[in-house]
Amino acid sequence: MSTINFAAREINFKLVYYGPGLSGKTTNLKQIYEKVPGEAKGELVSLATEDERTLFFDFLPLDLGKVNGFTTRFHLYTVPGQVFYNTSRKIILRGVDGIVFVADSAPNRLRANAESLRNLRENLAENNLKLRDIPYVIQVNKRDLSDAVPVEMVQMVLDPDGTVPLYEAVAYRFEGVFEPLRAVSKLVLDKLAERT
Amino acid sequence: MLEPSLDLYGQTFDQVDSLLKELISRSHARYAMIVDMKGFVLMHARALWAPTPPSLDSLATLVASNYSANTAIAQLFGERGFKEMVQQGDQVGTYMEELGDKALLVTVFDRSAALGRVKLITKATADAIKVVIDSNSDDAPTLSFGDDWASDTDELLDGFFGEGKDS
Repeated sequence: MSTINFAAREINFKLVYYGPGLSGKTTNLKQIYEKVPGEAKGELVSLATEDERTLFFDFLPLDLGKVNGFTTRFHLYTVPGQVFYNTSRKIILRGVDGIVFVADSAPNRLRANAESLRNLRENLAENNLKLRDIPYVIQVNKRDLSDAVPVEMVQMVLDPDGTVPLYEAVAYRFEGVFEPLRAVSKLVLDKLAERT
Repeated sequence: MLEPSLDLYGQTFDQVDSLLKELISRSHARYAMIVDMKGFVLMHARALWAPTPPSLDSLATLVASNYSANTAIAQLFGERGFKEMVQQGDQVGTYMEELGDKALLVTVFDRSAALGRVKLITKATADAIKVVIDSNSDDAPTLSFGDDWASDTDELLDGFFGEGKDS
């Protein structure tokens, strides 16, 4: 649930980039950090291993500006994708307001995508949350792979009903990076209004 | 209805602000901050003599995550959590106290402050803050969003993301 600070007149949201290992979650945050103007972003914090795999999380605060007299601030997190870091993923999901699921287009990662989504549902349940209650979009990354599976196949695995907004991306080239972030931000802001 | 994560507004805010300033003054700590469990800064105070702090957003996120990770470690051993949450470097240290289950009180100190004194005063301040918050009988301020909310937020997002559209 979003955090409201009446004294500072701020509304704070927590967005989490989730997905299988090496799908491009950290790349998304690095690209966002590169493209957002200096005054609207804070430090990019990465807790990574020596070989630059995410160990705990990456963190990037963004200040989107004022609406209704309140400053809207989004804290972006990634989770470690590797299977054995599940405790870390559970911790990062605490209090999540919105999720970007970063899927991998490689044919041999289809199963990893599905397992990561199942893991997301399980970890949300342990935080007393349900995916259907949380603003959520899918980014299908690495569309430039020569053997990328059709995006419809990824959608069939992750969202067979086709109800979740889906975006194609090549994150390292900053293609399709802002669209899913904008979409999930809008969903989160709309949900805030529904709750009041 | 939207609720704040901790009841910090109006008179309660002013009272807690005074307590944080008193904590800084009595313990000779550099900074004191209240951070919610999601890693957002709710309030902070800084000693006049203290150097500019690092990014408070980063500090708050790392503190809250560190607390959660340490609690997870404690729970592996059947504990509810660890009682002492203190870190000490050569120059700077941090000390944390829980404020119920919603927030943490964090004191950042350097070699000019004695750890024992920091711990004692931080504990007492945490207790005092809990009393102030528990005795708050004011209604929480309410937020209302008019019919223009959808267009206002569209404008906000266009303004933000419009400056760096994807290639």
